[in-house]
Amino acid sequence: MPPRIRLHPRALCVLKSPSHAPIRQTYASLATATTPAFPLDQPLRSAPPIRRYPPTQPPSHKPPEVRKSQLHRQYQSLLKSSPLILLFQHNNIKAVEWMGIRRELASALKKIDAEKVRNGGDAVQDLFANDIRIQVIQTGIFASALRVVEFFDPEEGNGMDGEVLTHGLSRRAYEAASNKKLRVELEPLMSGPLAVIAFPAVSPQYLKAVLSILSPSPEFPAPRRKANPDYHDPLVQAGLQKFMLLGARVEGKVFDLEGTRWVGGIDGGIDGLRAQLVAMLQGAGAGLANTLDSASKSLYFTMEGRRLDMEEKEKGPEPATEEKTE
Amino acid sequence: MITRFLTEVRVKFNPFSPRSKSARLVLTLIPSNARADGMKVESKMLPRDSKEPASLGVKFKDGKEMKLDLDKMRITEVVEEVDRHSRLLARKEELLGN
Repeated sequence: MPPRIRLHPRALCVLKSPSHAPIRQTYASLATATTPAFPLDQPLRSAPPIRRYPPTQPPSHKPPEVRKSQLHRQYQSLLKSSPLILLFQHNNIKAVEWMGIRRELASALKKIDAEKVRNGGDAVQDLFANDIRIQVIQTGIFASALRVVEFFDPEEGNGMDGEVLTHGLSRRAYEAASNKKLRVELEPLMSGPLAVIAFPAVSPQYLKAVLSILSPSPEFPAPRRKANPDYHDPLVQAGLQKFMLLGARVEGKVFDLEGTRWVGGIDGGIDGLRAQLVAMLQGAGAGLANTLDSASKSLYFTMEGRRLDMEEKEKGPEPATEEKTE
Repeated sequence: MITRFLTEVRVKFNPFSPRSKSARLVLTLIPSNARADGMKVESKMLPRDSKEPASLGVKFKDGKEMKLDLDKMRITEVVEEVDRHSRLLARKEELLGN
């Protein structure tokens, strides 16, 4: 029995050798611009992919225009750009009290700025008074942004083919952050009403000022009534009673209250630490030189002692022999 | 939470413990002018590695003291406990006709 399906139907045979017959047009006005048909005998090649979004607006996992998404993005950039973040809890602080706290903080920071300008002309670029401010945050969104910052690595998908989105609102970021097995150290702090103070650099000088205003302790005493009467305004004090320092995130590491105070207590900041290290290394170097020196010195002393000893021995027997010869 | 009858609130917690959430939420339930009206609020923060449970001490206007272990309580349970006595005081006050 012959096969029911013909292997070489006539239609296919015709298509295999396409005839490019010219289209005959009699009237120019009736001419239609025809694009040449896709030649069927050529292998199909995939066309370059068409981008379906403008390059400045890559697709995001959640609708990007809502406030939540924008806050999420903002918190991510805050977490990425500031190495030192203080976390506070605020309990029912009134607007006037907020105003007082913010004013006191700003004036204390301005003072540090002025002091820096007075002390050295070269340190003028490290003035942060205008960048350090209290920001009340949405706790849940901040916690989610923190997870994205900790667990999402934009460089990870570089090897994959196709286009890979690297921004923090992408689906990849969402999936990386929603891994339940990973835990952030700061997670227990992420509940209740929170406020953060972000520093653009780890600067103990400014941290000291902030701590002495917002959570005074024996190490960081609050300004005296005489020095700063505004600080002792009942409104400011009432606000500060409801403002609690919970912890800090310093260059990715988490510190509690004591740790934060320790960071604030580093004299002179990173430069001070460097100076300390240099002093320590110099001390170690001197010690090492001493040690190495002492070995050679002691060897010298030993050898010298031995030489003297030998000389004495040489001298000692000599008279005896002389006596014998005499 | 009925805070009218409280004279003193003492909270102790370790902020880095996930169980201290209710302790922190208790503080948020205190109204903003409570301190000005004579309520004493003390919050003590424990260091990060301490294993001490979070605790709440409350004193009422009639002198009754209450100590709660916040480690295993949710905030609704805490509020319930405190409100039980506060409601009693509220009823007494109402009967006296003030």
